[in-house]
Amino acid sequence: MEFIYYFGDVFSPLSFMLLLGGTIGGLILGATPGLSPTMAVALLIPFTFQLEAAQGLILLGAAYTSTVAGGAVSAILLKIPGAPANIATTLDGHTMAKKGQGAKALQLSFLASAVGGVFGVLLLIFLTPVLSDWALAFGPSHLFWLAILGVTVIGSLDSASVVKGLLSGCIGLWLATIGFDDIMGAQRFIFHPSLGGGINIIAALIGLFAIPQVLTMFAKGRQVDGAEVIEVQKHSVLAATRELIRWPRALTIGTLTGSIIGLIPGVGGQIAGLVAYDQSKKFSPEKDKFGTGHPEGVIAAESANNAMVGPSLVPLLTLSIPGSPTAAVLLGGLLIHGIFPGTDLFDNHPDVAWTFINSMLIGQVLMCIFGLYVAGLAARVAQVPQSVMAAVVLSLSVFGAYSVQSSMGDVYVMACLGLGMFFLERFGFSAAPLVLGLILGPIAEANFTQGSMIANATVGQASYFFSGPLNLFLIFVVIASIAYSVWMELRSRRTTTKEEALA
Amino acid sequence: MKKLLLSAALAVTALSGGAALAADYPERPVMMMVSYGAGGATDFQARIVTMTAGNEDALGMPIAIINKPGAGGRVGWNWFATQADADGYTLGAYNVPHFIAQSIKGGVQYSTDSFEPIANWGADPAVFVVKADSEFQSMDDVIAFAKENPGKLTFSGAGLFVGHHIAALQIEKAAGVKMAYIPTKGGGAAAMKSVIAGEVLGGVNNLSDAFRAQEAGNVRILGVADLERSAFLPDVPTMKEQGLDVDNASVNFRGVMVPKGTPQEVIDKLAVTVPEMFKNGRVAKKMKAGGSPMHIMTRDEVIEMWAAREATLKELLAGL
Amino acid sequence: MSRTQHIIPSGIVFLVGCWVAWISFTQQPVEAFLFPRMISMVFVALAGWTFAKALLGKSKVGLGLSRTMVINLAPGLLVMLVYVFWAAKGLGFYTATAGAFFILLSLYDPASHSDIKTWVKRGIITAVFVAVMYGLFAQLLSVYTPREVLF
Repeated sequence: MEFIYYFGDVFSPLSFMLLLGGTIGGLILGATPGLSPTMAVALLIPFTFQLEAAQGLILLGAAYTSTVAGGAVSAILLKIPGAPANIATTLDGHTMAKKGQGAKALQLSFLASAVGGVFGVLLLIFLTPVLSDWALAFGPSHLFWLAILGVTVIGSLDSASVVKGLLSGCIGLWLATIGFDDIMGAQRFIFHPSLGGGINIIAALIGLFAIPQVLTMFAKGRQVDGAEVIEVQKHSVLAATRELIRWPRALTIGTLTGSIIGLIPGVGGQIAGLVAYDQSKKFSPEKDKFGTGHPEGVIAAESANNAMVGPSLVPLLTLSIPGSPTAAVLLGGLLIHGIFPGTDLFDNHPDVAWTFINSMLIGQVLMCIFGLYVAGLAARVAQVPQSVMAAVVLSLSVFGAYSVQSSMGDVYVMACLGLGMFFLERFGFSAAPLVLGLILGPIAEANFTQGSMIANATVGQASYFFSGPLNLFLIFVVIASIAYSVWMELRSRRTTTKEEALA
Repeated sequence: MKKLLLSAALAVTALSGGAALAADYPERPVMMMVSYGAGGATDFQARIVTMTAGNEDALGMPIAIINKPGAGGRVGWNWFATQADADGYTLGAYNVPHFIAQSIKGGVQYSTDSFEPIANWGADPAVFVVKADSEFQSMDDVIAFAKENPGKLTFSGAGLFVGHHIAALQIEKAAGVKMAYIPTKGGGAAAMKSVIAGEVLGGVNNLSDAFRAQEAGNVRILGVADLERSAFLPDVPTMKEQGLDVDNASVNFRGVMVPKGTPQEVIDKLAVTVPEMFKNGRVAKKMKAGGSPMHIMTRDEVIEMWAAREATLKELLAGL
Repeated sequence: MSRTQHIIPSGIVFLVGCWVAWISFTQQPVEAFLFPRMISMVFVALAGWTFAKALLGKSKVGLGLSRTMVINLAPGLLVMLVYVFWAAKGLGFYTATAGAFFILLSLYDPASHSDIKTWVKRGIITAVFVAVMYGLFAQLLSVYTPREVLF
């Protein structure tokens, strides 16, 4: 209960100002395409040079919390996922916005974020010692199986055709191998200088999701006024809260999945949203509605995203190991003030540690309040005429892709992937499994290589990858997930043939 | 109209291009490429040492850090050697011995001839760490275990042909044993995690990161791969003191460079201002707080150091 | 939707798969291409399956492309390609963005082209948008984008 003692520090005038500033700034940065939470936090580090350690961390903590949630704004309104965390949000969120329910989608996403986020931070406060052991339990073999588990999600993520979904995933896995091999340093598939650095995940995300949408708008041509302008439905916060309570399953699955996955160093943040989305789809009685603007999809994805924030800091705060890129940047923010995370942090600087954690707790609430306000304003975007929208999304994509690492190469890669994806999408391929392949490929490969090296030096491959309770458990889940997809495919095939026969 | 615009444009570009002489340089913010991810030791230190660049007595313009991570730094340095503009507005951070070892090994488009050093800011030796509850108490224990179980002593480091790998090779060579070096993806942090989690028996890591992990009570540092003991770790003996003939070839020197072809006036101006900028008291304070050893060297000293390192590494890597 | 339409994309994907497999199994060092080999085998198998289905005319998923769509798409696509692959670097980001933005608005805005007011309106929207982008990226985030003509 030590954390309550330090609550007062968060509410001192300067701290609270920083908290407000960090939250609002974070929402804006998060909503900007191309700026992932990691980059947003890195951008804020210079501002903390002048501040006290605790105050600097309040700024960073608030920014981290709200950039993750802010990414939902561009994901829902423009179909540009600002970071891998927001991919799953685009699937139902943007469809809702197209139906005129942009305000509702945004409200749901911010409310779900707040619920997930608060739960995640509470986990961080109460269970940190237990969780840090759990974070260390995942070695190369387990991370490998976890990545494979992610790959099996691909089959069910794409509703149109399982084969094309898997093929899209394969294309993604291949795209991820382009560039220098991370361990050996060998060059692979570099057929153009722009690919020398590999395919940047943020640039790829922008291209794969935003560009097909721009081209689709072009393809609709010059439409006569009024034909396509959607009426924006006003949606009250109260109604959104009621809506959120209507879907307890999605909220629970999202929050729990996000918290558990967020804890695993090196994997968590990027796939939490997608895995939660997939899980709540599997457990939902209204599976078919997913992808057509179903509130459950948005709730699961966004609650998972923010639930991951708290647990993802456990390895950093207890063991001094940054478990995610954003945690690594936060580590820098601590070191600049001469504070070493680990036991030192909680023993000698409890004021810094707890103020930081508390600020994330309060930050979640502030983020929700401002987010709901933004939702009211931003939903008007759907009223913007299509011609303007297409031009805005295209320009934002170019700027976003460029600003990731000031590279024209990333812009070219973004445009090429987007162009390819547009045509592939017209023929039943889809972007979500492709992106999942792109994210999971490097995780699977690096852990497989590293695991094999350890295995060869010690117990041998077979017993390294196939023994131990955690390995066996993960393998079991992988098999169950594949079996489930096959079963669903067979069942849907049977029903469709029946329908076809009737027709 | 079009012609007018075009000629106006040409005039503007010509003006801005020709004006990049030393007197006015720099007239806009400068960018510095770091070939490791945000939050890594190199990135963190680069951000600190450049934080006073905007001061009037330094460059008078801020330096913005751009991260181009991947493949142990190869991605960033390849880009820096082949695509960066040599106009003085694109600086790069170097890590020696990493980029020299990689250029000797081949498969990259850079070598020491592709870059012009400006100044060095830090030197971070590699250290050998084991988990806090490990049975290894000294390097002797490690070597003894490796002799009994050839090829079975797993130890981690941040990739192939980086400082950690060089130190690993030197230890193996000096002790005449075969061990299993496990390169990790994700830099020193990932390598440290595998030591603390007990996935490997030991590891080579940066002194600054290991010092922090030891303070947190997670690891024990057995030896420093440098010529002298470190001021941060006065109680930890060097490899040489423990009978292993390991010199300072693996010490991670970090500093600033520009691409070949940068105007000489700009190089001269940077070579004078940048070391002074590193000497700023605020920089030193922040670096010390973060546990990062500083080691400021001028352009001439760095040129010498690069040449010496290249010779040593060529010899060490010849057998691979 | 015609069968040819499905054959072309799945054929291209299949060819890419074959190329990936060819590279993976011929390039050195073997350790670095172990993972690509595993992927490429699955890739070729799935792409082959899809291609065969398309050849047999059994591909049903997807909306395909219609003639009107292609005609509508062509000018916008052309502007996009010029903007991304040449103008952004050749003219500088902000100038190119202003140009592309204005042209795209004019191309796809349903309002009448003969009214001077619509042109003024398009100009104002473009100016406001570019100003916002400049404020956000150049000022707030201090991203240095290529600059050639004007700003």
